[in-house]
Amino acid sequence: MGESPDLVSDLPQSILENILTRLSIRDAIRTSVLSTKWRYKWSTLTDLMFDEKCVPAATDRPLVETNLVRFITGVLLLHQGPIHKFQLSTSFLQCRPDIDQWLLFLSRNGIKELVLELGEGEFRVPSCLFKCLKLTRLELCHCEFDPPKSFTGFSYLKSLNLHQILVSPEAIESLISGCPLLEFLSLSYFDSLVLSISAPNLMYLYLDGEFKDIFLENTPKLVAISVSMYMHEDVSDFEQSSDYNLVKFLGGVPLLEKLVGYIYFTKYLSIGDDPGRLPITYIHLKTIELYQVSFEDASEVLVLLRLVTHSPNLKELKVSASPIQLFPLEEESFDLFERDYFEYKLPRLETVRMTDVSGIRNELEFIRFLLGTSPVLETVIVTSSLSDKDARMEMVVELLRFPRVSPRAQLLFLQD
Amino acid sequence: MSEADMSIIKPEMMMKSYIWLETADGSIQQVEQEVAMYCPMICHEVLQKGLGAGSSKNCAISLPQRVNPAMLSLILDYCRFHQVPGRSNKERKVHDEKFIRMDTKRLCELASAADSLQLKPLVDLSSRALARIIEGKTPEEIREIFHLPDDLTEEEKLEPLKNLMDDPRIRLLNRLYAKKRKELKEREKLKGKEVEERVDERSVDDLLSFINGKDHKVVKTSKNKKKNKKRKEHKNKDSHKLHSKQQGVQIVDETASSLGGVSNLPSMEDDIFSLQTDSEDGYVDDGMDPVLKEMLDREVEDFARRLNSSWVLSSGQERQPVHFSINGNGATRRLTGTHTPQGFSQG
Repeated sequence: MGESPDLVSDLPQSILENILTRLSIRDAIRTSVLSTKWRYKWSTLTDLMFDEKCVPAATDRPLVETNLVRFITGVLLLHQGPIHKFQLSTSFLQCRPDIDQWLLFLSRNGIKELVLELGEGEFRVPSCLFKCLKLTRLELCHCEFDPPKSFTGFSYLKSLNLHQILVSPEAIESLISGCPLLEFLSLSYFDSLVLSISAPNLMYLYLDGEFKDIFLENTPKLVAISVSMYMHEDVSDFEQSSDYNLVKFLGGVPLLEKLVGYIYFTKYLSIGDDPGRLPITYIHLKTIELYQVSFEDASEVLVLLRLVTHSPNLKELKVSASPIQLFPLEEESFDLFERDYFEYKLPRLETVRMTDVSGIRNELEFIRFLLGTSPVLETVIVTSSLSDKDARMEMVVELLRFPRVSPRAQLLFLQD
Repeated sequence: MSEADMSIIKPEMMMKSYIWLETADGSIQQVEQEVAMYCPMICHEVLQKGLGAGSSKNCAISLPQRVNPAMLSLILDYCRFHQVPGRSNKERKVHDEKFIRMDTKRLCELASAADSLQLKPLVDLSSRALARIIEGKTPEEIREIFHLPDDLTEEEKLEPLKNLMDDPRIRLLNRLYAKKRKELKEREKLKGKEVEERVDERSVDDLLSFINGKDHKVVKTSKNKKKNKKRKEHKNKDSHKLHSKQQGVQIVDETASSLGGVSNLPSMEDDIFSLQTDSEDGYVDDGMDPVLKEMLDREVEDFARRLNSSWVLSSGQERQPVHFSINGNGATRRLTGTHTPQGFSQG
């Protein structure tokens, strides 16, 4: 043959699948018209990802819906072989019986990763989902989740992400404990959740919502935690337990490397009877980010100090001081000298960032504490929420007075 | 290098250890060990065969066939950059973006060679580049870039996609159908059926004589004509493939009318069924060219299929589509019609 030979059709199937997976599903299917060899190359792809871009855009919403349903059904019927990953992310579909049929089809074809991000409408997950026992990753958004009594869990599940799911707390708890290999857990957009998490292999925990009570019962391998905790109006529920929440939540995570808390997280941790000291030292904790810490509240400052002083390898600290007060507090002065905090050393702390500083006593004392106990400190960035220039100047002058243990420490002031 | 040369060991060479690699075409080269060991395949070879492997020209490690010297040198450049530990992720990304800029042919060869050396990051990199080339392009453009043969028939191109893509040809086809049907329905009302039949017979005679020069098949023409009409209709609507049958536009019109009204379909099916059993003999007797016969059979099938699906779309009623299959000798069998699910019709 003197003519140019086919460049690509004879490449090994693994490479062709590599290429086809990187195309949108629409482009991948289009390759079936290229030549006879390409006719069914796309049909053995194991990862299928759909969204409303699969069909032509139109202003008529029901039309887009119909086209999308037709498209997905068509693809599934033309597909050959196992499907390992199925992702559907579109607000155009909510509750449609077609989705049930697709899930049934997937449950018979070895589905391992399932992502269903639907529009608001509480699609009730069909029972065939609970028969997909090979699942390693499950992500549901805007669904109703009601496992049958006989369901014991997904024994291979490593990643679970539930967002705005209608489900009973017992169901979540038993789901989590029924997935022994679970490594990543994300629960978001929940109301008044009371949860006890027992997951021996869990490494990453992400919580975002209104939680009444969280107990990390058995999570020894946790490496990273991020919590955005919204406060239920009825604060008295919080105050009921006498256990110190800081211990209840962070008492059993010795391998923790990164801790991030938003909104009322620090307040939540501060509730309960303080036993005096923490049971464990966080040897691996390198980053602490606590936002919306209410420095007027002495118990919150105590939480912050406890965490910082029990983390000998802490490298980066970010604290935002803007309080979201449910009720105004009188500032409780927290005398650090009195409590011997300057006996501590923060041997690895290098970067500190304090935002929304309003210049109250406790905030300044905290910065003084950091400057006086961190021998390798390099940067301290302070941003202020004060609008009054004089007040800001006062604060800056005060901060500059503080003695610094680290010769390289720089105090930087940025305007909010 | 001669034996004498080999004995002169340069001081630089004493510092680094080298591995000898042999490509499929027989050429041998030596490469710094840490660079070559970045390829898993080479690494495995060395570990499996012991320390002696690749240490001299004689026991050079032979590389898989898909690695030619040009590709090998490219891959080694890649390895040379990436095996240095101190580089930042950004540096590596910038290097990769520049590295991957090459013509498509080399990109394909590179992907193939990297795959046989099990160098996954490079396979991913080249696959990504190839995907970027493909995405958003029309099939014609893709065929041109990769030198793919355009060997699918028009029907095949439309088939699996019919239900998925908004192929404008489908819409055009349906519109043409609808238009023709409407026109001919009206004409039918005006003219009356007898006139049609007469017109048909005349032109079919012409047709038959064109094919085989005989005209003693007049009896059968009344049935055959329908098949011919269908062929013509199909050809007319499609890409005018069969130029040999280029006759009688009025036939097409009349045909469409008899296929036209919804109520005609069942009778049409009967006709087709009986028609085929007749024409089977007819064809054998005619001594038709088998290639032509095959082509005609295929077109009948395709047309029938298209007819069915267009019915589901346009009539919107629950009509039983009839499935035809053509086996080797051209006979059609009617399979049990099944209801097409509502959601799954032409897209």
